[in-house]
Amino acid sequence: MTQSFLEIKGLSKSFGGLRAVNDVTFSMERNQVLGLIGPNGAGKTTLLRLMTGILKPDGGSVRFMGKEIVGRKTWDIVNMGIACTFQNMRPFRRLPIIANVMVSCLSPRAMKRGEWVKRLGAKAMDALEFSGISDMALEKASTLSQGDLKRLEVARAVATEPDLLLLDEPFGGLSPAETDLMAKSIRRLHKGGRFGRLHSEGPAMIIVEHKLQWLMKIVDRIIVLNFGNLIADGTPDEIVKNPFVIEAYLGKGGT
Amino acid sequence: MNLIFFYLRKLFSIIKNEVLVLPSRVVAGIFFLALLLLPLFTEDPYLLRILTLTSIFAILAASWDLLSGFTGQMNFGHALFFGVGAYGAAMLNKYAGIPPWGTIPLGGLAAVMAGLIIGIPCLRLRGTYLALTTLAFPIILMGLVFAFPDFTGGELGISGIARLARSRVASYYIAVIVMLCLCTIMWKITDSNTGIIFHAIREDELAVRASGINTTRYKLLAFSLSGFFAGISGGLFAHFMRIAGPSTLEVSMSFQVVIWAIFGGIATIYGPIGAVFVLFPLMEILRFWQDYRILMFACIVLLILLYMPDGLFRWLRDKAEKECPRCKIRNVAMRHTCRICTAALD
Repeated sequence: MTQSFLEIKGLSKSFGGLRAVNDVTFSMERNQVLGLIGPNGAGKTTLLRLMTGILKPDGGSVRFMGKEIVGRKTWDIVNMGIACTFQNMRPFRRLPIIANVMVSCLSPRAMKRGEWVKRLGAKAMDALEFSGISDMALEKASTLSQGDLKRLEVARAVATEPDLLLLDEPFGGLSPAETDLMAKSIRRLHKGGRFGRLHSEGPAMIIVEHKLQWLMKIVDRIIVLNFGNLIADGTPDEIVKNPFVIEAYLGKGGT
Repeated sequence: MNLIFFYLRKLFSIIKNEVLVLPSRVVAGIFFLALLLLPLFTEDPYLLRILTLTSIFAILAASWDLLSGFTGQMNFGHALFFGVGAYGAAMLNKYAGIPPWGTIPLGGLAAVMAGLIIGIPCLRLRGTYLALTTLAFPIILMGLVFAFPDFTGGELGISGIARLARSRVASYYIAVIVMLCLCTIMWKITDSNTGIIFHAIREDELAVRASGINTTRYKLLAFSLSGFFAGISGGLFAHFMRIAGPSTLEVSMSFQVVIWAIFGGIATIYGPIGAVFVLFPLMEILRFWQDYRILMFACIVLLILLYMPDGLFRWLRDKAEKECPRCKIRNVAMRHTCRICTAALD
């Protein structure tokens, strides 16, 4: 039996009486970019947090490259190759921007992969270069605008050189021009290669996003959550025609 | 001969280009030299005694800053490390007969153990809860000290342990040199990659975890490093005073450390050291007004904190130096252009 890259089986999580993620099952391949959409409160962010070990699931399993990751610590999971960004940005506000990224570069995974890079700062700089905020590297993170904080989140995740990148609303708070730029760099990241001293394996990605028009251009496949349940799974073209999805977003008779 | 001249010239150019350009570095250099050269000019026993104690407490204040200022693990029970270091050194000296150069590092290691013992259960706590929990530990240890008076001396403490050194000047030099070395090491730690992680843990622990860093390990590292340095200062104190008593574990001791560190500016290392060198002698100067000594002390601390909430030394440094907006290199406040990138300052 060939094992898939990421396999999620029966994953559930409740907060009190609310079932935020209910028996979600799907799998994805190494070369895919997966879009994860759904109305507000559908459990998208909770699903990502379960996968990174920030929240503990009530039941189910997540297998990443053949290894079970439920019950592992967050840093273990990141060092196995799953990097995530936060929806509400969490920078180290009083540190310079470059130091924010250097923390990621100091993780065991990044240290092992970048042995040929002598200077940590240079590698961190290339991660910033990739997300387009290298000119502000020495400023304090508290001086950044919302959009630039988003890029900082991406730079921090990319600096660990992940195999699977979980992006939680990467376009949130960005202007249309910035969104275009960010969409392009995400596409470029997925192709893989080198960005200066930073090496990209071309990570698989799961992208949570509300700006569907841009999301459709990036992803190969979309899954839709509603009230914690997986209601649709398919290519972007199939999804927009799917009656369940239209009902979830617009209500009955929305067509 | 040429080689010697080469290194001399190199040293000279480093002093000229790196040290003399910034007032803070000049002050630090003068401070180092003054402490080391003082006994050549005066051997006043009272002055030497005050400065020895000041140096010992400077290590303690800096070690609190390493744990609470940098890593953000608010520790209101720092006297625990100090007391464990003092009692550890005193017991090893009295019961095992080990001389001071052996007992002091071993006392430091005992404090590391104490740091791990309180660090492990406190890992999940943060902020106020951590502060209140750590506050309890020295009180618990004090209870243990009173519970076994045969072994620990009870309220009288362990007295009659070996002197730090035969002469006063030698004790002074030991305390000052150990202080300068340990504080340089602490400053280097905070300046290294580990220091960046410590800073980041203070800012947002969850985000550090999501960056793939084992925060448990780094928090325990902070607890043990801080415990080691504080334990050494406790050992020095015990051997200098020739007594390790329950006063080293008192709550007031814990809070004094916090006051020193906040007065000087937390997360700086140099701030707490400077604050001890201001406040500890100040307490002695205020002796002329015996009845109102503590009141005066409190007023001075309050006024400073009211007008310089970031701490005295950080305030002074910001007045004397300004940061280049472009390259973030610090410059003397009098300059109009940056000394490295020649960008206009302000």
